[in-house]
Amino acid sequence: MSEGKEITIALAGNPNCGKSSLFNALTGAQQKVGNFSGVTVEKHEGYIDYKGYRITVVDLPGTYSLTPYSPEELVTRAYLVRERPDVVVNVLEGPNLERNLLLTTQLMELEVDFLVALNMMDEVEEKGIVIDIKQLQQLLGCHIIPVSAKKKSGLDALLDHIIRVSQKEIKIKKNKLFFTPSLEASVDKITALLSNQKELELYNSRWLAIKLLENDREVYQEVQHYPVWVKVELALQEALRDAERQHDSEPEMLITEDRHAFIRGAMKECVRQPGEVKATVTDYIDMVVLNRVLGLPVFLLVVWSIFQLTFTLGAPIMGALNLLFGTLASHLRPLLPNEMLRSIAIDGVIAGVGGVLVFLPNIVLLFIGLSFLEASGYMARAAFVIDRLMHRFGLHGKSFIPMITGFGCSIPAIMATRTLKSPTDRLATIMIIPFMSCGAKLPVYVLLTGAFFAPEVAANVMFGIYFLGIAVGLWTAWILKSTILKSDSEPFVMELPPYRWPTLSSVLFQAKMKALMYLKKAGTLILGAVIIIWAISNYPRNEALDAQLLAETARIASSAAGDAEKQAEQKKLEYQVNSAQLAYSLAGRAGMVIEPVIRPLGFDWRIGIALVTGLATKEVVVSTMGTIYSIGKSDGESVDLKSIIKSDPAFSRATALSLMVFVLLYLPCVATLGVMKKEVGRWKPVVLYSVYSLSVAWVLSFAVYRIALFMQ
Amino acid sequence: MRLSELQVGDRAEVTALKSESAVRRRIMDMGLIKGTSFKVLRVAPLGDPIEIFFKGLYLALRKNEAEGVLVRKVGEPSELVGQQELEEPLLKSGGRV
Repeated sequence: MSEGKEITIALAGNPNCGKSSLFNALTGAQQKVGNFSGVTVEKHEGYIDYKGYRITVVDLPGTYSLTPYSPEELVTRAYLVRERPDVVVNVLEGPNLERNLLLTTQLMELEVDFLVALNMMDEVEEKGIVIDIKQLQQLLGCHIIPVSAKKKSGLDALLDHIIRVSQKEIKIKKNKLFFTPSLEASVDKITALLSNQKELELYNSRWLAIKLLENDREVYQEVQHYPVWVKVELALQEALRDAERQHDSEPEMLITEDRHAFIRGAMKECVRQPGEVKATVTDYIDMVVLNRVLGLPVFLLVVWSIFQLTFTLGAPIMGALNLLFGTLASHLRPLLPNEMLRSIAIDGVIAGVGGVLVFLPNIVLLFIGLSFLEASGYMARAAFVIDRLMHRFGLHGKSFIPMITGFGCSIPAIMATRTLKSPTDRLATIMIIPFMSCGAKLPVYVLLTGAFFAPEVAANVMFGIYFLGIAVGLWTAWILKSTILKSDSEPFVMELPPYRWPTLSSVLFQAKMKALMYLKKAGTLILGAVIIIWAISNYPRNEALDAQLLAETARIASSAAGDAEKQAEQKKLEYQVNSAQLAYSLAGRAGMVIEPVIRPLGFDWRIGIALVTGLATKEVVVSTMGTIYSIGKSDGESVDLKSIIKSDPAFSRATALSLMVFVLLYLPCVATLGVMKKEVGRWKPVVLYSVYSLSVAWVLSFAVYRIALFMQ
Repeated sequence: MRLSELQVGDRAEVTALKSESAVRRRIMDMGLIKGTSFKVLRVAPLGDPIEIFFKGLYLALRKNEAEGVLVRKVGEPSELVGQQELEEPLLKSGGRV
């Protein structure tokens, strides 16, 4: 690829204008997802080779205007202003041109090289809307190319024009949007002040002037650094007075109104809407889905369906994966002669990687479900339906999406909080997600309810545990939002996009991207964590025990007993030695150290060990208990943990309840803590959270234990 | 009168935006400015937020946010007849009757 034949273009447009479909149609599979520098906003980038050019396409987050309101919009603007792509492609939703044009007027002000991709032309024609493209081109001062991302039509024409614009072979003269005369005078005055400033060369002076008049905080902070500010500030105050005196308004309002006036004019001149009015599919669907009476039941049904999809469909795949890793481990065992190597490979790496992969089917299914809801347009409606309830606890309607994701796994759920604009809303939501009982905690409940409750009660107990998690979460949110996170919560002003039937490929693509992100983030963290936990549950080793194991093994081998008997005795021996080793290891000692603390909750040091190792991932609680509770079991048959703990005198129904509550509420797994830190950016909230969750877990477990003992 | 005081089915026109600046900015960016006519479509099942429709956009906002939007009612829904109806930009953009 020769130099100069590379073009970078950016797609800018309103949310739901079909920008992402166009991006997919243009770049196909050549995409990657990263983050914009320094922020947790996803950056979708792809490329296409066309007529000897390599065109890099950046899909900017959807935005209604270039006055930043959310992190996504800030990113979009910063990218356009600072990174200056060669060509900006403004994607417009053809059927709803009027409100899409606001962003276009702002691109005109920015004086970037841009062109318009008039998307959804198929729908425009279907609806009988007639757009005079030639005339509109003159008014907007840019090329307009009709396309349909869905039908993949007009894409070549778009690419041809992108190349032409990048080569400056533009035939259409840029147009300028003029404001009300008095305001225009203020703009001119400030533009003149700014235009000979070397430090501000990077920016278009007129754009800076307009933004200052719009009270744009970011631009204020930028210009304030320079000496010219003194004069600019005077001019701004004068403009404010003029607007007040002549229009009884503010420059900010006047500017917006003038933009809209321009748009109205353009619409009148160039667009003919059909006279007849038809209720759309969206109207009909919403009559049911957002109905006063049916709205909530529909919402619950949707959430329930997502769960069914995730767990019912996921369970067999999960089982198969478990089996696969089990088989892999047993085949690998004889191949590794070295004891330590074998242990690292099987108990460390396979257990670790397996632990991540086993959850992948559930997570992929969950993401497919959520992507479908998002792409279809229901997600915004769900926020609409549930906002009142969430708002009562200081949260936002949109917080519920991460919350339900949390029932699957906290990691993607924490990542999903990125849709929340207000930092305090976001932090509060992140802090309550681990209380939503995740999939990895389920095996613990299954074991304990199975051992201590009749099957018909077990389900209710489990439901109670989930419910307790939600209650503690909401309570925590309420506390946080009325104390340390007390600040303006995010206003609820939200578009409910028209329903669209999502394409399978885009849903799968979204799910794939999210799954990869999960694998990358969680994979490295969980793998690391599991290896550490492996190390602390195996070291230091008690040499005497190892020697004893060898000696006893030799004794059994040489004894006169039959093969079956020998095998049984050998198994029993290994259990004993392994359990003793675990007790001797760091994890075991930690268990014993914390025993006095957890004694009031009905836990002994063995449960303590399980709680420590459970920090790797929660289902490890079960496997660790499996190892420890094998002490003293002499039958050597397959160990049924359920019946062991049932007959263990240290274990009672009260202990089981207390343990479930504790597992539900105490520290999330280390991977979750790691992701929390990454998303929040600081350790302090994570540390505070850890202390808080441990305290809540302790207090509630204590209460549950005492009450249960009393009732027994 | 305030947007928050309108009933489901009411049509109205924005006369002024008095919300706190970030909210006002947002509302204006969505295209709801002085002079925009809209229709109140529904109230959420739990009583808040409300949904309005204008320029092909379905917008949900909390009553709290709607308080800052001052409006003038455009005729009672029952008296909506011929002429006035045709002038409604609402109807031109594929909305509902």
